[in-house]
Amino acid sequence: MTAIPPVLTLVLAGGRSDALHALGRIRTASALPYGGKYRVIDFTLSNCVHSGLNRIGILTQYAPLSLHGHIGIGRAWDLDRRDGGIRLLQPYVRQRETNWYRGTADALLQNRNVIEDAQARHILVLSGDLVYKMDYAELIRFHEERDAALTVATVEAPSEEPDRYGFVRADRSGRVTALEEKPERAYGRVVSAAIYVFRARDLMHRLRRPEGGPDLVRDVVLPMIAEGAPVFAYPHRGYWRDIGTVESYYESNMDLVRPVPPLNLYDPDWLIYTPSEDRSPAVVGAEASVSQSLISHGSRVEGEVRRSVLFPGVHIGPGAVVEDSIVMHDARIAPGARLRRAIVDKRVAIGRGAVLGEAGPGGEGLCVVGKGSMIPAGATIGPRTLIEIGVSERDYPGRDIAAGSVIRPR
Amino acid sequence: MSFVSYAMILAGGLGSRLCILSEKRAKPAVPFGGKYRIIDFTLSNCVNSGIFDVGILTQYRPLSLRDHIGIGRPWDLDRKRGGVELLQPFQGWAETDWYRGTADAIHQNWTRVEEREAEHILVLSGDHVYRMDYRPMIEAHLARGADATVAVTEVPREEARGFGIVDLDGESVVRGFLEKPASPPSGTISMGVYVFRTSALHAVLREDSERDTAHDFGRNILPEMVRGGRVLGYRHEGYWQDIGTLDSYYRANLDLLKPHPPFPLEDPRWPVFTPSTEFPPARIGARAEVRSSIVTHGSIVNGRVERSVLFPGAVVEEGATVRDSILMGETWVGPQAVLDRVILDKRVHIGPRARVGFGDDRTPNRSCPEHLSSGITIVGKETRIPEGTTIGRNCRVSANLIEEDFRDDTIPSGGVMERELNVAH
Repeated sequence: MTAIPPVLTLVLAGGRSDALHALGRIRTASALPYGGKYRVIDFTLSNCVHSGLNRIGILTQYAPLSLHGHIGIGRAWDLDRRDGGIRLLQPYVRQRETNWYRGTADALLQNRNVIEDAQARHILVLSGDLVYKMDYAELIRFHEERDAALTVATVEAPSEEPDRYGFVRADRSGRVTALEEKPERAYGRVVSAAIYVFRARDLMHRLRRPEGGPDLVRDVVLPMIAEGAPVFAYPHRGYWRDIGTVESYYESNMDLVRPVPPLNLYDPDWLIYTPSEDRSPAVVGAEASVSQSLISHGSRVEGEVRRSVLFPGVHIGPGAVVEDSIVMHDARIAPGARLRRAIVDKRVAIGRGAVLGEAGPGGEGLCVVGKGSMIPAGATIGPRTLIEIGVSERDYPGRDIAAGSVIRPR
Repeated sequence: MSFVSYAMILAGGLGSRLCILSEKRAKPAVPFGGKYRIIDFTLSNCVNSGIFDVGILTQYRPLSLRDHIGIGRPWDLDRKRGGVELLQPFQGWAETDWYRGTADAIHQNWTRVEEREAEHILVLSGDHVYRMDYRPMIEAHLARGADATVAVTEVPREEARGFGIVDLDGESVVRGFLEKPASPPSGTISMGVYVFRTSALHAVLREDSERDTAHDFGRNILPEMVRGGRVLGYRHEGYWQDIGTLDSYYRANLDLLKPHPPFPLEDPRWPVFTPSTEFPPARIGARAEVRSSIVTHGSIVNGRVERSVLFPGAVVEEGATVRDSILMGETWVGPQAVLDRVILDKRVHIGPRARVGFGDDRTPNRSCPEHLSSGITIVGKETRIPEGTTIGRNCRVSANLIEEDFRDDTIPSGGVMERELNVAH
């Protein structure tokens, strides 16, 4: 770790992700359970502490309770500190101009007193809903060496969906010449990683402009590039995933159970921290069969598990089969049930012999079962089915649910 | 609400019957059950019973225990009022010395009890695995105006020899107390869990400290109190296991693997707290086979594991087989190695194709046959067993050995492996 100048880190963690369906309705994407024992924001926070950054504000707005409960006073990251540490920044009522955060730039502007009080030289603006490991100290050194007003970290686009990324073009020196937000067609492979270091005074100057808008990229970053401010691209090599959709969330979890995972969680020098759960060790039963999976404390496996991620407290009964699935905290998979390509949220109960997501005439695709819902014993649920939060037995029209259905509580 | 709010835990013992597991740590700090240390059970019982003021008496090798307990955070014992305090012997103005026994340990720290102006205190042992709500026992003690109340449990009579035998009458009054008799009259034994009226305890401790005794709770204090006061027995129903010997340690660990364990660790109403490790979830590989086993965060299994307990960071490589074994934290079992009835202490490294716990020869251990005769082979902390080595049963391999220390590629059953001494047959 190298000495770094005074930096204030602000983590944007207030967004609402409709593309996460039932997973994202009760929590902001940053608070999504990930990788068996983590929340997505653990990556950003662990990166911060490993990079020597310990003055951190987390901007929350949408469904923040799950996130607030997770972060607490920041103990898990050694961020319960006298100086600095973690602050949760919710919108609040003021004497004048009270409003919710209308966008990312507006969220920063509403916290201008926090930024000014920090007297930091640079402001690192991060997103809480990304999975990656990065040494921000190197990014900041790069930014200082070039005397940049703004440095944007870039990565190679992890998927072929141009409308999910901002494409960055830079000249040979690394200076950014254009940024195309969510275009219809891809512009090369280099995209913004949504990781920004601003020189503090440049950021404040931009935010305070009367004509400024609420969005950080559209109303701050793009005008800076257009007006010729020194904006540089910092190439990040290594794993980086945005988990803002059900598919990308699923794929990133499944990356962890590949024979050689592209993201190493076992590096003792860069462990990902998260609050511990005080659960007992996992028990694998006498008849169980487990392969290519992650298993967390408090779990009890009596059936078969393949290529899956099990969170704490999951019980899988004898004869049950779980394949290519993500099963969150305290879900109960009854004996004989079968799951394929399913994301099962916390405290879901899958009844005896129920079948979920098996490919049939309706094709393949992910099933999502919302928090606290149940699937009746003996039910057959086709792929691409969305079961909303809190669905109970009487909400099912029958025992056979066609592919692509949506089941809601009545 | 009971009036008892202070507990003292005896955690200083040598634990010599645990062989090399307690060579470098006090018995309460011995790892247990995949992620715990033995003392976690007593500490968790305290906080789950609403007791948040705890003194731990340490003497023998306290560093491992001290690191584990820290400021008591995992148990919510980092408190302004109360909390946890480790009481190690110290030098002072008055006559002070190493603790001469469990009773002397409490007596030397009597100011701690006085400061609290407690009328009654709990005295516990840090080396038992059990779950107990102390509150009903405290209530019984208070309701019946006892000077001391002793928790008792039943064990088979032939196993009772290592314990204090309690003779109860029909009113649960203790009529006699026999510490470790050669032929036990019954299987009703003391669990090492006591509630004392402080004035009564102090009088006996003071007298005992002047005399030439073992200064031991079981040997001296309890019999003395039974003679001169009102001592009650309190029957504890449920699992209780003393971790006194290697065999009982091994059995208590493997008890957890039964389909219906006598002591389920997973109970949200009575969690067992311990400091967390920062490892990711357990990773089971594509060719792994895991059955009837405990896996923990940071363990990685690519081979075959049956009826075994894997602590955090234990790694079993492809083609390796681990049966009926206990693998402590950050151990590594190389490809094609075979382990059968083995206890590996932390960070032991088993080279590829090594066989540990091998063969049908059941010769007891030649240096401690009384503790190592049931077929368990034990390997001490951080030892590295070379590739292809064969080690029999009932063997004891010391801590901190490196590959070069092994001159022979075979250690027969009952062997002892120590540095320089090499293999003694």
